[in-house]
Amino acid sequence: MSPDLERTPRNLLVSERSSFLDQKNRISSQLDQLHFNYKVCVLLPECSSAPSHLDSALNTFSSFYLIRKLPLYELLDTHFLETVRHGGVSGLSYRTRLDEDNCVALMPNGRLSLSLDKDSFELLGVEGKPSRFNHRTKSRFVVCVDLTDSSMAPGGRGYQRLVTGLTSRLPLKTDFLMSLPAGGGASVQALLSRYDWSEHRPEVSSCSLTDLLCPAPLTSDPPAPLTSDPHRLLEWLGAVHAAVSCENSSSSFLSSLVCPEPNKKLSHALRVSVCGLLSHQDVQKLIQEIRVYLSVSPPGSASWASVTLHGFVDSPVSWGGEEHGVLRGGDNFLSLMMFPDQSYLLHLATGAHDTCPP
Amino acid sequence: MSVFMDLNVNYTADKSQLQSLIETAAHLGFSTVAINYVFEPTEIPAPTAISELMDPLPIVQGRSRPIRVLNRLTIVMSDASHFRPTAVEYRRFDLLAVQPTTEKLFHAACMIYDVDIICISVTEKLPFFFKRAPVNGAIERGLVFEVSYSAAIRDSTRRRYTIANAVCLMETCKGKVRPLPVPPLDLRGPYDITNLGLLFGLSDGEAKEAVSSTCRSVVLHAETRKTASGIIYTVKSCSDSPPADCKSRLHPVSQSSGWLMVNE
Repeated sequence: MSPDLERTPRNLLVSERSSFLDQKNRISSQLDQLHFNYKVCVLLPECSSAPSHLDSALNTFSSFYLIRKLPLYELLDTHFLETVRHGGVSGLSYRTRLDEDNCVALMPNGRLSLSLDKDSFELLGVEGKPSRFNHRTKSRFVVCVDLTDSSMAPGGRGYQRLVTGLTSRLPLKTDFLMSLPAGGGASVQALLSRYDWSEHRPEVSSCSLTDLLCPAPLTSDPPAPLTSDPHRLLEWLGAVHAAVSCENSSSSFLSSLVCPEPNKKLSHALRVSVCGLLSHQDVQKLIQEIRVYLSVSPPGSASWASVTLHGFVDSPVSWGGEEHGVLRGGDNFLSLMMFPDQSYLLHLATGAHDTCPP
Repeated sequence: MSVFMDLNVNYTADKSQLQSLIETAAHLGFSTVAINYVFEPTEIPAPTAISELMDPLPIVQGRSRPIRVLNRLTIVMSDASHFRPTAVEYRRFDLLAVQPTTEKLFHAACMIYDVDIICISVTEKLPFFFKRAPVNGAIERGLVFEVSYSAAIRDSTRRRYTIANAVCLMETCKGKVRPLPVPPLDLRGPYDITNLGLLFGLSDGEAKEAVSSTCRSVVLHAETRKTASGIIYTVKSCSDSPPADCKSRLHPVSQSSGWLMVNE
């Protein structure tokens, strides 16, 4: 039996070509379905510094909170539940690995998802299902609770059972990242005051690139349809964002990645990334600003722009609130290539342990 | 999946080297390591207490808990008398492993010996073939087989032997295996070992289990071996008879203290 070494880990890639002007485009709902976003990377060709409106969009991402060692039963606190019921509160356990530890996610629609190992699940004593990604033995379980449901109102049966589980049977404590809707800070002050917390702004870093090799169809005017394999395009884009050389020189063994042929050299380009717990509204606003930037740029300068949105690798949920897992990698990301005529090319990607993107 | 474990960190008398090994393992993402004392059967040493070795233990990278360190004993056996089940020295170790060098010893280790791990040396041509019966017997008892990957990293000739022997073992035991590294430079991260496992014929899921769930079951097996000694269960012979008529049966499980009582 010889192992099939050429087979790479399974991944799913959904590609879609449409236009922002098309009434039926699903871009907005597709963006909303990736709940927990860790990083947004922007690549602008023929640009050495971001124009002011784009710069302000990049630097005005909403802040988020990091609460250290938050006991999970606090998420069922009466006042906090009121805030959750109004919608827009999202949170994720921090520094917990999805394939090793217990992970928690609170979605903006009020659904709480706990991804637990076998011992923790058996201790907690709340109804749950085995993970879809268990191999032979059931070693991981998922507990999903809708905090807006009537049975989860304080005093309800489901509520009591979960609170008892989290306080006496399985007193889980984890570092927790939380993002609130605008003006929501006041409502959680009581919760925050009980623990060690800090407020953070997403970190922005930008880099001006020179002599960047880029696939030629993108740079033609108007941009020609990309005939190369989407995997190769995304590989190139990933290499640019990760600052990996695409020269494939014979003296270096680190990278054999190359830009898809035919390619052309760009004199300069701007690469910007924003890291943190990012909200949908900020990402949508950024995409809007880039659309405006493309439409007002003189012809021949900016012929395309790319935005890549990465989901958290260790989030228990990814596309559409479906279960997410980590086998050898937990990628779940979205790559949007925009053009001046308001058309776009969208790629939605996941790793082995994930559902198909929408 | 459970946390990543590396159950073979070779013991060295050099305390600072051992500390740096444990730090490297924590940095690579292992949540549990076992310091392996490999000895010829004549003199079994006492393991160093973990608190003396390193205090505080380093935090595992990406998590907020310190690494857990266990002690393990590996006995290289060339004769049946080398393994003494009632030896007091064995109790000081958390995990017990044997490395059989003949077919008869391999058979005995799989079917009879009260150990947790059977080490298979894969760097040279083995003097025996793996038979399905003892391998299945070992798996049913909760034992696991251990394969070293460090030679595969270093040397191309030994890599061929490693892969050939490991594939042969995998075919027989259908994946109930865990890989182990040996010296310090050969420690690799858990995802790298998962990739190596693919070379040995394991599937994606099996290779990952080899570094996580299988190791967890070995550690639990060791804990049970050390704590449970036997089961007594009582059977009522007839409904009205006094307790004196109740039969009881004794089932020895392993050698330590404590008995488990079960009433039927």
